[in-house]
Amino acid sequence: MSVPRARLLALMKARCELFSTTYNPEGIRTGNKILRQKLKGPSFVAYYPRKITTFREFQDEFKSLELEIEDEDELDRLDHISELKARSKGAPKKKREKEIKKK
Amino acid sequence: MVLFRAKKFDLGCFTNIGIIRDHSKRKAFAAHEAERQALRYIIRNTTLPARTRAMAQLQLTQMHCYTRSTQINNRCILGGKSRGVFSDFKMTRYNFRLQALEGNLPGVKKASW
Repeated sequence: MSVPRARLLALMKARCELFSTTYNPEGIRTGNKILRQKLKGPSFVAYYPRKITTFREFQDEFKSLELEIEDEDELDRLDHISELKARSKGAPKKKREKEIKKK
Repeated sequence: MVLFRAKKFDLGCFTNIGIIRDHSKRKAFAAHEAERQALRYIIRNTTLPARTRAMAQLQLTQMHCYTRSTQINNRCILGGKSRGVFSDFKMTRYNFRLQALEGNLPGVKKASW
């Protein structure tokens, strides 16, 4: 026993009303599936871990209590640079713009 | 592209140029995702006039390549490598092995039977 098409369409319409979907018997492409997609951006951006605090900010936290914290890595770096400069092997000084213009 | 790079350095993992580039691509994609989806909707909607759909196609192709999701590539957060990266752990297979043997990855243990 075959069911007439009009009856099937009526069923489809009733179903669309019930579940609040759009009634589209011809199957026209309306691009709604793109509007239904979730945005991927937030999860993509969260891939790499972010910098939480810097040592400078940590130092500043204790400044109000008049406590000083030494940044050992920074001190090591400065020591290394002063050592190089003592042996005159340091990085050259930056050229001043005024001198260049005079020449 | 320097155009999309953050003004202030904001990464907390191993960094090299590849990671910085990929991170800025991710941020560019997130910023333009809504615009891209809107254009894609116009293109796919056959009830709209052909002219607007063609215009949308042109606009979508003329957007910067950094706003495309296919430009994004998962990289190792410990070494910056782009190949052999386990997406579950964000690490290359070798870094994953080292970390797993050290016991830094909860729930991972060496198989033995």
